[in-house]
Amino acid sequence: MKTLITASAAVLLATTGLAQAQEKTLTISVYALAQDEYKQIVYDPFQAICGCKLVVETGNSVERVAKMEANKANPVIDMAVVSMADALSASRKDLTDTIDTAKLKSFNALYDIAKDPNQDGKSVGYTFYANSIVYRSDKMKIESWADLFKPEYVGHIAFPNITTNGAAPTLYMLGQALGKDTPDLAAPIATIGENKDEIVTFYEKSSQLVQLMKQEEIWAAPAGRFAWAPFTKLGLPMAWATPKEGQAGGMNVMVVTKGSKNRDLALQFMDFWLSTEIQTKLAEKLVDSPANSEVKVSDEIAGNLTFGKATAESLKFIPSAVALDNRAGWIKTWNDKVGQ
Amino acid sequence: MFQNRAEAFALALPAAIFAAAVFIVPVLILLSDGFRSLDGGWTLAAYGEFFSSPLNQAVFLRTLKLGALVTVVSAVIGYAAAFSIVSLSPAAKGRMTGLVVLPLMISPVARTYAWIVILGRTGIVNQAFQVLGLSEAPLRILFSETAIFIGLLQLFLPLMIISLISALENMPKDAVPAARVLGANWFQVFWKVILPLTKEGLVIGGTLVFTGCLTAYITPAILGGSKVLMLETLMYQQVAVSNNFVAASVIACILIVMSFAANLLLKRVATARNTQRKAAR
Amino acid sequence: MTARSLFVPTTLFLLATFLIGPFLIIVAASFSAGETLSFPPQGFSLQWILKVFTVESFRASFAMSMFLAIGGTAAALVLGIPASYALSRYRLPGAEIIRTIVSAPIIVPGIIVGLSLLRYVVVPFGVGITLALFLAHTALILPYAVRVVSASLDNLRSDIEEAAVLLGSSRLGAFFRVVMPNIKGGILSAFILGFVTSFNQVPVSLFLSGPGVRTLPIDMMAYMEIVFDPSVAALSSLLAFLSIGIVFAAERFLGFSRYV
Repeated sequence: MKTLITASAAVLLATTGLAQAQEKTLTISVYALAQDEYKQIVYDPFQAICGCKLVVETGNSVERVAKMEANKANPVIDMAVVSMADALSASRKDLTDTIDTAKLKSFNALYDIAKDPNQDGKSVGYTFYANSIVYRSDKMKIESWADLFKPEYVGHIAFPNITTNGAAPTLYMLGQALGKDTPDLAAPIATIGENKDEIVTFYEKSSQLVQLMKQEEIWAAPAGRFAWAPFTKLGLPMAWATPKEGQAGGMNVMVVTKGSKNRDLALQFMDFWLSTEIQTKLAEKLVDSPANSEVKVSDEIAGNLTFGKATAESLKFIPSAVALDNRAGWIKTWNDKVGQ
Repeated sequence: MFQNRAEAFALALPAAIFAAAVFIVPVLILLSDGFRSLDGGWTLAAYGEFFSSPLNQAVFLRTLKLGALVTVVSAVIGYAAAFSIVSLSPAAKGRMTGLVVLPLMISPVARTYAWIVILGRTGIVNQAFQVLGLSEAPLRILFSETAIFIGLLQLFLPLMIISLISALENMPKDAVPAARVLGANWFQVFWKVILPLTKEGLVIGGTLVFTGCLTAYITPAILGGSKVLMLETLMYQQVAVSNNFVAASVIACILIVMSFAANLLLKRVATARNTQRKAAR
Repeated sequence: MTARSLFVPTTLFLLATFLIGPFLIIVAASFSAGETLSFPPQGFSLQWILKVFTVESFRASFAMSMFLAIGGTAAALVLGIPASYALSRYRLPGAEIIRTIVSAPIIVPGIIVGLSLLRYVVVPFGVGITLALFLAHTALILPYAVRVVSASLDNLRSDIEEAAVLLGSSRLGAFFRVVMPNIKGGILSAFILGFVTSFNQVPVSLFLSGPGVRTLPIDMMAYMEIVFDPSVAALSSLLAFLSIGIVFAAERFLGFSRYV
């Protein structure tokens, strides 16, 4: 009994002792994807440069904004990456600060769409990506977004849940395929509703898809290009669809929490992440498609990413304001038609 | 019995104050959130709104249904299991009871994780079905009510069995042989003799299993996902994704009411037995 | 007669398969040489067992879970033993209310405990993540501590400590010299029960975990969402053997099951 208490006290001391040894701590919140690569390319080198400790929390974008709001009075996170629409949502709730772009050396090298995606000065894009469909090329052929709902395929697909970044762009493209693309997304959501018993699952994080694909639980799923690399390592015949309706665009942006005590450190970290060197390394490992236009990669790498000016301009983005203003309606329609 | 009240309070109050401060008061505030209107008055509006959504209705009914189903099935299996275990020699009985308790010591995350391997399209169940020619194409079992049902049953069956073992052991040894001598068949023996005499154990086990199903988060999260929500996973989603604390408060209240109702039932049955015994003396 | 004699072994076999089978599959999968979680395992290797020890976040979250389980249970006992003693030995007005308050955390779903604590204690008072988890786990274990310690106090005749007091011992001295030695098995049982409960707990910690501070089961759930190799199976097996080992040792040396 005594030894147990002593042991637990020792553990406690060890943990607090560790925390005190580090002087500066930057807490960031990011997506769960490719954390090993991020650690190697971004986190560890940055910690070496700044002499600070980086604490990384992972989760999906909406969860992050929800947590930022819950901790508004006493911010836990200094810097976060979120979707374009969530960045606007956070800025409308006054959770984020204006970004001093003069402190970001690579700012002028960014593609125009990434410089200030929501025109409010509170976010900077670090990667953009195409949304399309990843599928088993030996089991099916996808030429249109509507092909997912062919009777022989629909029992083998996973669809993004309405709460994820991927849902709206996917539904938007599906609406185009159906010829009914109203901002309320009523027609595509109704289609999902009709097929809800057949669809394997509604996923929350695209990282789950790799597992489901490996287990052969699914053969196809709409996904962002950032999720593509792990599929190529599965040893299964995988393909990335180029539907005739085109591919939807998505962008992830960086924000700084309002009231953060480590603002300068956060900006230093963002500057590091946006630099040509780091963006190139991330691109070469197929982690993130670069938002920095000075990044040069081989044709093979470029083919696996969402790369280049022409591609950037071809993507169909849903404006953040449209997404935000309709989101509640989408969720309600979804819950009524799909949720039960 | 010691009479010194000051001493008694000094001993008992720290625990009570601690539980009240970190637990009772915060939970009560959370629950009250669901009854507040925007202008600070009291209202049931949030409850009306919650139950008017078809999604919420479906999730509520599913939670009730799965809880009840798991409880009933675990009772049926539990009687067969407990009866078998009680009939063993003392040494074998001890080992078998140990085996029943063992899963309770293993992390629910690990136990639920195993079902992914077992129930998946390429999992053992589907492999067996195909070898035996029971199904042509692999069945889809994950992300369904069936998967959650199986997971919850495996998680909570031990609680039912343990309750029933002690109930069966406390039963008068000659009750069953006596009924048999008098010509009752096994069905009658169970219905007229065993069930009434082990009712208390059944209720204890049932309450544990039912409340267990209400409070389990991992099983519906992993085996059901956002396609097959239960109240626990819906509540997490309301907080973590929608930031809707009022809806979360409503769900919390529903879960607590259901849980307390089950526990009250337990207490009533137990008290009824005590009064009967006292009356008999 | 044959039907009956077949009934018992068949039932027990099916029961054992259903209850233990999944665990055995996890254990088998953790020794797989393959890259993915599958059964039957592809070949034999220790690589996944070894990999568990190299995952940095597992080490940190294991230390956190150990601290919460040991520290939380110890704190719950420090609060719970005096309370149990008061409830069992004193004529205490409002004893039922105190008993209900202390045992309430067991009835309320853990996810609600975690959320309430986050919203109304952690955020308004700026409580740190580690402390918040510690408070939550202590509250969660308290009911078990009070229940088990009360049970062993009720089994102990109270006249021995009354005799000790009459013979001139102080009340406190009587407690430590007469009562404690007699209920130490019960206390240890409460400790093990609390430890296992806390260590395997997920819902309470779900909302309270924060950047860099996670309990092991939460970390495992996050990890298995991203990585589908047998390392989570390996970790699960290791943890299971740890819990089973503790319980078996306790049962062997102290007769743990008498108190639970």
